[in-house]
Formats: sequence, C-alpha cells, structure tokens
Amino acid sequence: MPRYAMVIDRQRCVGCGSCSIACRAENNLSEGVYWSHKITETSGVFPNVRFHYLPTLCNHCTNAPCVRGCPTRAMHKLENGITMHDPKKCIGCRYCMINCPYGVIYFNWKDGHQFWKDEHVLIEGATSSPAEEVRAAGGKTTPYYNPKNSKAPDIRPKGVVEKCTFCEHRVRKGLLPNCVEACPADARMFGDLDDPQSTLNQLLGKFKPFRLKEALGTDPAVFYIRDFSAANYPRTKGAA
Amino acid sequence: MKSKIWYGLLAIGILLGLWNAYKVYSVGFTLYAKTDVLVWTLPLSTYIFFSLTSAGLAFVSSIPVVFGIRRYDIIEKRTVYLEISVLLGSFVCLILHLGSPLQVIYIFLSPNPSSPLWWLAMLYHVYFVVLLLAFWRIHTKTVSKALGVIIFLIAIGTSTTLGWLLGMTDARPTLNASFFSVYFPLTAFGSGIAAIILFSLVQGQLSDKASAETATELYDELARIMGLIAGVVLILFIWRTIIGGISSTAEEFRAFKHMIGSISYHIELWLGLVLPTVLMLLPAVRKSAWGKIAASFLFLVGMFAGRLEFVLSGVIRPLGQMAEGRPEFVSYMPTVYEFFVAIAGFSVMLLIYTVGTKFFKLETAPKH
Ligand code: SF4
Ligand code: SF4
Repeated sequence: MPRYAMVIDRQRCVGCGSCSIACRAENNLSEGVYWSHKITETSGVFPNVRFHYLPTLCNHCTNAPCVRGCPTRAMHKLENGITMHDPKKCIGCRYCMINCPYGVIYFNWKDGHQFWKDEHVLIEGATSSPAEEVRAAGGKTTPYYNPKNSKAPDIRPKGVVEKCTFCEHRVRKGLLPNCVEACPADARMFGDLDDPQSTLNQLLGKFKPFRLKEALGTDPAVFYIRDFSAANYPRTKGAA
Repeated sequence: MKSKIWYGLLAIGILLGLWNAYKVYSVGFTLYAKTDVLVWTLPLSTYIFFSLTSAGLAFVSSIPVVFGIRRYDIIEKRTVYLEISVLLGSFVCLILHLGSPLQVIYIFLSPNPSSPLWWLAMLYHVYFVVLLLAFWRIHTKTVSKALGVIIFLIAIGTSTTLGWLLGMTDARPTLNASFFSVYFPLTAFGSGIAAIILFSLVQGQLSDKASAETATELYDELARIMGLIAGVVLILFIWRTIIGGISSTAEEFRAFKHMIGSISYHIELWLGLVLPTVLMLLPAVRKSAWGKIAASFLFLVGMFAGRLEFVLSGVIRPLGQMAEGRPEFVSYMPTVYEFFVAIAGFSVMLLIYTVGTKFFKLETAPKH
C-alpha cells in the first residue's frame, strides 16, 4: 500500500492559483470554500520588500489531530495515508476545525451554489437570471457536476465539514490530484513516500524540505522545497 | 393571570427556537455570525453554560446522597429536577449548534474513544437516563444512593472532560491551559449552587409565603459557599490574566491583550466574580433573601459571559490559511438568530422547571 505525499517546489511555483481553480472545478466547491488555498506574506521594509506565496491544502497529517478528535470517525485515515471525510457520519460539530492547526477544513454553512437559484435578472428583458439559465440547460440544481467523482457527493452537502482529499477519487483510478495535473509550472509532485526510488523521495533527498508547524508533531505529508528568488546581491566583506 | 403571562413568554421563546430551527435548516447556518474562523459561538457557549450548571447541580445533589450531609435533603428533589431542566435546555442549544444533528446516531455506530467529544456525548446520554431514573426514585419511593454516586461521578467526568477537549487543541494556546480542568468543575459547582439558590428563593419570594425552605439557614450556608467559590475563582482568574500578561510567547500575549479588552471578560470578572464575592462577604446582604438572589444571579450572568469569552478566546485568531486576507483577530457580534438559540434554551429549561414546581412537590424532602 503506497503512502501518498506531496512535494511543492516553491522555486517553480509562480503563484498563478491554477491549483485552486482546478480544485474548485474538480470538487465542485461553493463560493468561499478553498480546499486548495495559499498563504501570502510580504517581508522587508519599503522600498525593499518581497512577496512570498505558499500554496496550501490539507497536509494529510500522519498524526492528524482532526482524526483523533472526531467523535464519529467521520474524519478518518485511509491506509494510503489520505485523511478522508465521510459526510454521512459527520454531525457538524466543527471540533475538527478547532483541532486542525492549518485552517484547511471548511464547514458547509449553506447549500452549495446558491447563485444558480437566483431569479434576479441583471438587465430586465436583456439578460437571463442564473435560475433561468439552469432551467434552459435542463439542470436541476447546478448546471455542472463532476461525473468522475463517484465516491464523494457531487454537490457539497450542507451542515457538514469538508476538505481536500488529495483527489482520492482520481488517485484510486491511477490519476494525479487535479491540482497537480493543472499546475502549469509543474511545481507540485505527488507520489509514494514508502517507495525509496520515487521522484518524491529523490526530491526530499536532494533539497532540505520543510513542513508547516512541524513542532506540533502532526507529521504532515505535504513537503515544501526550495524558495523562489531571482534576486542577487553584491559580494562584500560582510558589512551590511 | 401572572402564570398565564409567564407561560405565554416561555411559549414565545420556544416558538422563536422552532422558527430558528426552520430557518437554519432551510436557509443555512449563514444566519449565525458565521465566518470560517468563528466556528464556535454563542449557541455552543450557551450549551456549555447549561451543561456546566447541570454538572454543578449534580455536585449539590450529591451532598446529601453521596456525602450523607442530611440537612441538604430539603433541596435534593428540587436540585435533581432543576438539573434535568437545565440539561434539556443544553440539548436545545446543542442541537441548534450542530450542522447535522440527526447523524448523532453515529456516535454509537461509529465510536471513537480517542475523542474527548465522543466521551462527553456518551457521558451525557448516560447522565440523562440516570438523572430521570434518580428523580423518579426520589418522587415515587426513596433516594437511590447508587444512582446518586453515578450522577456525581458523571458530573466529575463531564466537567473535567471539557478540559481535555480543549487541552487537545495544541494549535490554540489560549484554550490549551490545564487551568480549564480546575476552572470548569469549580465554576460548575458555583453555578449549581447559584442556580439552586436563585430558583428556590425567587419562587419563595414570588409565592409570598415564607416556606420551610426559605426559613432554613441552609441558604445562608449555600450563599457562603458560593461566595467562597467566587472568591477562589477570582484568584485563579487573576492569575490566568497575570500569566497571560507576562507571557513571553507573542501569540499568547496578543491573545491576552485581546481578551482583556472584550466585554464578556469584564462581565465575568466584575459582575460574575468580584461583585458576588463582595456581596457575600457582607453579612447583612448575605442574610437577606434578595441579597442572595442578586449575588447568585450575578454569578450566573458572569458565568454565561465567561463561557462565551473562553469559547471566543480559542477561535477569534484565524489559523493557517484561514488567516489569509483576515485581520489578526476576527470580531464577533451574535446575530439575532444566535440570540434565539439562547432564548429557546432558557425557555425550554424554565418551562420544564415551572411544570415541575406545579406537579412534583419539589419542596418535599425525599425518604432515604
Ligand atoms: S492538515 Fe488539518 S485537516 Fe488535514 S490531516 Fe492535518 S489536521 Fe487534519
Ligand atoms: S465536524 Fe464532522 S468531521 Fe469534524 S469532528 Fe465533527 S463529526 Fe468529525
């Protein structure tokens, strides 16, 4: 059984956000929900400032506090290391959101895609409302859903939490997570941590990786390598 | 006439709760002051307020049954009944907090003993059944010592498991204080005493007759204990503030600064702890029924605010990617729907209690 993990190469990452868009499309996420997200920071003092971009997602922690605290095992670990969530068992207590140190779990506060139920017409007699569009397309709720995703619900269910699944439904079929597939800079690598020859392990051996909040002991399965900086500076004897 | 108005008010409170349930399940939880950061707010803190008060009432009810101090017999029946009412009020708030309450069945079908929340849920299920049995025994036959002991142990379990529940959240240092494992049982006990003083004495005053209960010195003793608890908690509370204030961890220090700037913090400190302590130190106030009523009411108001303050202290600081595009601390103001949850919880609790005072002769001492 493989033990899945992801390496994100920050030197290659251009911060385009394709991963987030691909995730939204694949998992039919509602407005305001970001299973794939980012942390941005600026460092330095003006005019010497830099922008830093760190793509984020569920870390599929080996020692996952969200799993340990879930009263119904709705949040659970698969043998392949993926932290999965079963919406049928979730009581919506949000304790996992309190426990996750990374802020990657989202509660579905309302039915997904409310936009498509909106009867409001922007320009009377000229445009159609979202609800009219759905009716015209013959759809019942939203005009799109992902036919590839057979295990997780197509429409995000209300009253439960959800988060990144490493696209478990795709991985099972031998495909890559959609964020990995969509990254135009090939900054995301997905593979088996237990295979010493995997590209993943080669990268982890070549570059010193770091993981988020390692001191907490959650043992995340998302590793970051390198950093992007095209900058250079003149060599001196040390006076700065 | 008076009682009709009272029942009418309670009915309105319950209708607000039903309206809230309908709206929340049809429109969504967006009706609460929701952000992805503030996942635990007023509905949950009200639940915690009720559940800790019921644990405190369990401690009070154990005084005659478990520890054999018989002069407390006179309040035993009322205490156990009030415990049931308060617990039912807590269930109302919990149901309206949970996203999918019908799936609670998976607590049994898919148990996770490594979760403190699972233990809490199990304890509350057993607690409720045992409480009903205990009250039925008191009402129909004699006090059951075995059931009393179970209730006492469960109350220790529930009030301390809450400390474990928060202690597990390593990523949120403000919640991660062993402080809570002491603070919760202690304030629970104080809340239980305050609740029984308040309900007994208010009823005594309203019924315009110096009932046997109010004539006893028992309430003076209870008031003394409540004042003592308020004082001890005040000292703990001040230490918690000092430790936060001199914390070398930037995160804790900023959280502390935010905490002492919040309204709920000051309500808990001044109304809930300082005032009751001072009032109960004054013999004239302590001996008067209204003095006791005021002090216990203030203590409960303080605890209500305190439960909200501690829940918020854990969630107002966004973590990880949730901090993206957000301020360091997210501000919170309950929505009208969140108030409806609290009102519904109180209405259910008060209705059940009022019905009990009519039908169950709560002032009678049980047989042993
Ligand atoms: S990142 Fe959060 S949600 Fe994902 S496994 Fe770790 S603790 Fe759980
Ligand atoms: S919200 Fe759902 S997944 Fe999270 S701890 Fe509660 S039951 Fe488990």
